[in-house]
Amino acid sequence: MPSIGTRAQVMGVALLALALFPLVANPYLLYVVNLGVIYVVLAVGLNLLLGFGGQFAFANAALFGIGAYATGLLQVRLQWPYLLAVGAGAVFTTGVGLLVALPALRLSGLYLAMATLAFAQFTQWVLLNWETVTFGAGGFKIPPPRFDPLPLTSAQGIYYLSLFVAAVLVILAWNVVRSRVGRALVAIRDSELAAEALAIDLARYKTIAFVLSAFYAGMAGALYSATLNFVAPEGFDLFQMVVQFSMVVVGGLGSIWGSVLGAGLLLAMQEGLRAFKGAQEIAFGLLLMLCIIFLPEGLISFLKRHMRGWSEPLRRPDPRR
Amino acid sequence: MTTAAAPRLAVQGLTLSFGGIRALDGVDLELSPAEIRGVIGPNGAGKTTLLNVICGIHRPADGRITLDGESLVGLRFSQIAARGLGRTFQASQLFRNMTVLENVMTGLHGHLHTGALAAAFNLGRVRAEEAEAAARARELLGFVGMETMADRLGTELSFGQQRLVEVARALVSQPKVLLLDEPAVGLSVVRVAEVDALLRRIRDERGITILLVEHVIRLVMEISDRVTVLNYGRKIAEGRPAEVAENPEVIEAYLGRSLERHPDARRP
Repeated sequence: MPSIGTRAQVMGVALLALALFPLVANPYLLYVVNLGVIYVVLAVGLNLLLGFGGQFAFANAALFGIGAYATGLLQVRLQWPYLLAVGAGAVFTTGVGLLVALPALRLSGLYLAMATLAFAQFTQWVLLNWETVTFGAGGFKIPPPRFDPLPLTSAQGIYYLSLFVAAVLVILAWNVVRSRVGRALVAIRDSELAAEALAIDLARYKTIAFVLSAFYAGMAGALYSATLNFVAPEGFDLFQMVVQFSMVVVGGLGSIWGSVLGAGLLLAMQEGLRAFKGAQEIAFGLLLMLCIIFLPEGLISFLKRHMRGWSEPLRRPDPRR
Repeated sequence: MTTAAAPRLAVQGLTLSFGGIRALDGVDLELSPAEIRGVIGPNGAGKTTLLNVICGIHRPADGRITLDGESLVGLRFSQIAARGLGRTFQASQLFRNMTVLENVMTGLHGHLHTGALAAAFNLGRVRAEEAEAAARARELLGFVGMETMADRLGTELSFGQQRLVEVARALVSQPKVLLLDEPAVGLSVVRVAEVDALLRRIRDERGITILLVEHVIRLVMEISDRVTVLNYGRKIAEGRPAEVAENPEVIEAYLGRSLERHPDARRP
């Protein structure tokens, strides 16, 4: 297919630029781009659930936090080495995602949104109040991970680890959505009735969507905790959820590459507006609204329209429907 | 009955109530392999409810449903579909944001094996399975005459074209029985004739049994091997189309009692 060629070239160049970036970047820029790479993982994971699976759930910010806390706490409380803690944190978060999925299977629409919102608030409450484990509202510091045999600073090491994980997870997600599994998810989103008539097990595929997005959120959290060397409950609150929704919707629901784009844009906005704390929330809300009204297919629709061969399978849902 | 062959789909004593209303009241049906069975009846007779109970959307209060001798009662919709029961719906249920080809490939879901992990790593066997699925889907699109539309989006199709894609999607897994809920509703006369021909080919070339609920009576009478008539959830007649058309109880169900037999008609 010629379409893969075009896209592979763009992505290859972008990846190469990102790989060379630490050679020229100052520490602040490296940190920002590292954050962007982590946002890509978050956005792609959420898109699998929201954009492809059509499940309107609010659990992702909490799962992101659980990944960050699990990874951090394993290092601080149990002295686990960083890489092991990353893997364990992601797996633990995936397990929690599975637990969230079980009651969520019986719910849809607003009820699913409310139940997952309750889960998110409960997670906040645990992070704030279970002080003997989580250190409470003040959060805790995590020692910077070391990548000893490699000639990398801690920040560079985390950057390359994040970039590697993000690249792999984006490719895996891309493969999933253009397979039988992706079709099943989109079928459920477009018509549960027809999906069942075609022997698609709703519970099974909704669970898969929840578990995949939880794994992506957990992985992102694990990388995030080391990028910041610090975690606190407020990083994983409702505003974090708004940021993630914005990334997915602005980039394009049901488009993996749209999420990559959306993550980059939202991060740039977040950093650009960092000086004006209240303005971030207003700007994100405004952007989300404008996008839903005027650009329901997200930014990726420009690429699809103006760049030959930038077509994707399974297109996108119309959020206004 | 004279037919010695075991029934493909058998329904016995099917009963279901919604609140106080008996939607189905002891309905019996036996469908032979490669038979077209029309189900007609006035509005609210329980036709769509019958389809919904057979395919597992509703659970019957009483009665048995067997497909090739295997009981379907208590199984979920998707499980029943996987056992070889295809279904289309009155309102279009096309996946609007998939291409026509992807829609039909989704119909093969139960026949493919790719899991999430294998898909994520795009293993060689996944690619082989996808290629085969695409080929089968294209073949089915050819069967319904929609092969040139394979790469169109669901939203770009006309009403009649959507219908054809939905039929192809239900057929691609080669079901034993196909339940069709008003496939001709809203179609022009020319299109109805096409549906007529298509249903015959599904029966004759693919050997699939069709249970057809339809309001376009002319179509039902033309292509059905046998017709079952429901009224108020009960079966009031069954037989060859010509027999059913002359059955007084059927005529009464559709047109009301004739004037001379009506008690009020004897008023001076």
